[in-house]
Amino acid sequence: MIRFIFADLKRLWLGSLVVILLVALATALGIAVTLQERSLRLGSARAADKFDLVIGAAGSETQLVLSSVFLQASPLPLMPGDVLARLAADPRVAWAAPIGFGDSFRGYPIVGTTTALIANTAGGFAEGQMFDAEGEAVIGSAVTLAIGDEIKPMHGGPLSGGHTHTELAYRVTGKLQPTGTAWDRAILVPVQAVWHIHGLGEGADEHADHDHAEGAAGHDETGEPAVGTAEASHAGHEHDQHADAHAALDETFGAGTPGLPAILVKPKTIADAYRLRQEYRQGNTLAVFPGEVLTNLYATLGDAKRILIAVASGAQGLVAASLILVTVIHVGQRRRQIGALRAFGAPRLSVFAIVWSELFVLIAIGIGLGFLLGYAAAQVLSGLFTAESGITLPVSFARSDLATLGLLFGFAALLAALPAVLAYRQSPAGALRA
Amino acid sequence: MLALNLTQIAISYPGLLSPVLVIDRLGISAGERVAVTGASGSGKSTFVNIVTGLEAIRNGRIDWSGTDLAKLSESARDRWRGTNVGLVMQDFHLFPGLSALDNILLPARLARVATADHVGRARALMQRTGLSRPEQKIETMSRGEMQRVAVARALLRRPGLIVADEPTASLDPESGEVVGRLLLEMSEAEGSTLIVVSHDPRLTQRLTRRIELANGRIVGDTQAASAAARDEVPA
Repeated sequence: MIRFIFADLKRLWLGSLVVILLVALATALGIAVTLQERSLRLGSARAADKFDLVIGAAGSETQLVLSSVFLQASPLPLMPGDVLARLAADPRVAWAAPIGFGDSFRGYPIVGTTTALIANTAGGFAEGQMFDAEGEAVIGSAVTLAIGDEIKPMHGGPLSGGHTHTELAYRVTGKLQPTGTAWDRAILVPVQAVWHIHGLGEGADEHADHDHAEGAAGHDETGEPAVGTAEASHAGHEHDQHADAHAALDETFGAGTPGLPAILVKPKTIADAYRLRQEYRQGNTLAVFPGEVLTNLYATLGDAKRILIAVASGAQGLVAASLILVTVIHVGQRRRQIGALRAFGAPRLSVFAIVWSELFVLIAIGIGLGFLLGYAAAQVLSGLFTAESGITLPVSFARSDLATLGLLFGFAALLAALPAVLAYRQSPAGALRA
Repeated sequence: MLALNLTQIAISYPGLLSPVLVIDRLGISAGERVAVTGASGSGKSTFVNIVTGLEAIRNGRIDWSGTDLAKLSESARDRWRGTNVGLVMQDFHLFPGLSALDNILLPARLARVATADHVGRARALMQRTGLSRPEQKIETMSRGEMQRVAVARALLRRPGLIVADEPTASLDPESGEVVGRLLLEMSEAEGSTLIVVSHDPRLTQRLTRRIELANGRIVGDTQAASAAARDEVPA
C-alpha cells in the first residue's frame, strides 16, 4: 500500500508539489506572525529589564521609554539638572545616572551618561576599559569600531541633516559585552562631554563664541532632541569652559547641572521604587516603570497581533477551501482508478486509507515545511530588526505552538478524510463507468 | 470452480423506460466457458457488474455455488469478489508507477492476504504469460503486454471464476490472439469457470457456450459443437 501511495504521489508530483507549497506558505504566514510577535515581546521586555525607574520631564511616557530604553531618538523636553543631584543624594536610591542623547556617529546613537550606569547595566567589558576622561568613549558590542578609533559626533542623526561637531572627538577605550538591548548599538560617553560640546554646563558662558551657538536654537525648530535648550537655567562657570578631551571625569552633580532628558534610577527596594515614582510624577517631572509602559504597549500590540492573526487565519481558510476543491476534483478524476481498486477486491477501508494518507501526507509535509519557513522568516525579520535597533529578538517555539501543530494536524486529518469518504462511498461499478 | 444459478433478475435505472437487464433464469455450470455477446447497450456490462457483485441488486438471486450475492453487503461482495473472481477488463486498469509484478500483487496486498507464496505464483504466472521482466514499470509496456499482466493478476488468487470484459477489444489482432489463447489455456489449467464478454468472433468461437443479449434480454443460448471444433477455427 505504501508503495502504491508513493507511486501515485510520484505520478502526480506537480499537483502534490502545489498542494505542499500552498499549505507550507499558509502555515508559514501564521507561524511567522506568532513567532515574531512573541520575540518582539520577549526581546523588548529583556531590553527593558535593567531599567527599573526612568525619570524625565513631564510629557509622554511612551516617548520617554522609547528614547531611554530603546534609544529611539525623539525630541524630549528637558528637566532641570538639579533633579539628578536630588536623586543622587536620596537615601532610597542605589544609584541614579543621566541619559543624554542627541548626537550620533555613523548611525550609532551617542549617549552621555556616567560610569555608574555602564557598570550597573552592562555585563562587563569584552575588551578595553571604562572611559576615564571627557574625550573617551565606551562602545556597545554591536558598534563596529575598534579600541583607539576616533569618533566625531554628529548632531542629530545622519538622516536629519545634522552637522558634525568639531569641538571634540572621542577616542574608544572599551567595548562592552553584548546585552541584547538597543544599548548594544550605543556609543557611551561621559555626560559632561555632551554638555560641553553643546556649550552647556560649567562652560555655559563660553558657548557663545563657538559655532554651536545658533545651532542650539536651531535644534528646536527641526524638532531634534536638543540637550541644549535648558542652557539658561544655570549659571555656574568656575571651570575651563571648552570641551577638553583630557579633562578629568566629574560625576558629581549639583544645582549647576544642565537640563536632562532622562535619568535612570535604581531604587534600593520595590517600596522605594513606588514611592519615588509617586514623588516624581508630580510637577514638571515624570517617573515611569518601563516594564509597565511596555505592558500597555503590548496591549496595543496585542490588537495588532489579533488583526495579523485574523489575516493569517483568513489566508489559511482560503487555502483549506482551495485544498478541499482540489481534492474533490482530484477524487472525481480518480473515480475510475478507485473503482478499479474496488473491482479487483481492495477492501473499502484500504481505498479510504489510500486516499486519506495521500492527502494527509501532502498536507503534513506542507505544515512541517511551513513551520520551518515561518521560523526562518521570523529569524530573518528579527535579524533585520536587531541590525537596525540592537535589540535582540529571541525567536523560539513555545509549548503553545505544539498545540497549534496538533490542531493543524488534526485539521489536516479531517480535511484528508473528506475525499476519502467520497471514495469510500462510491460504487465500484459506477466509478468504472465514469 | 464456481457454478451460477441466477433467477428473477430485473435491473432498471431511474429515467430509463425499459429495464437494462431482465433474466428470469440462467444457469452456468462449474468450469463452463461462456461467451456473452450482443450489441452495445444490450446489457452486457450490467450482466458483468451483477454477476461479479460490482453492482447491488434489489431482487432476485445471484447464487454462485451457494453464495447469494444479493444478500451480501457491499463490503462482503468486495471481499467475495477479491477471493473468487479474476477480472480482466478492456482498459486493463493497471496502475502506473508500479512494476508489472507489483501490479499483479496489488489487489492481494491491498486486501492484506498477500504471502510469499503469492509472490512466487505471481512470478510463475508472468513466465506463463510470456513476460520476462517482473520489475518493468507498467507504463513502459506495450498494450498486449499490459493485458497479459492483467490476465496474470486475475489468476493470482486462483479464482473460481474468471470474467473478461472485452479483453481483446483494445488490442491489435496479434496481441488479441495471444491474450485470448492465454485466457482459455490458463482458465482451463486452473479449472476456473470462464465468462468472456466480447464481440470478437475469433475469441467467442473458441468458447463452448454462447449467450446472446439484445435489449437487456437473452435472445440466444447455444452450445458450440465440440471443443475440437474450436481448434479448426483459423486464428
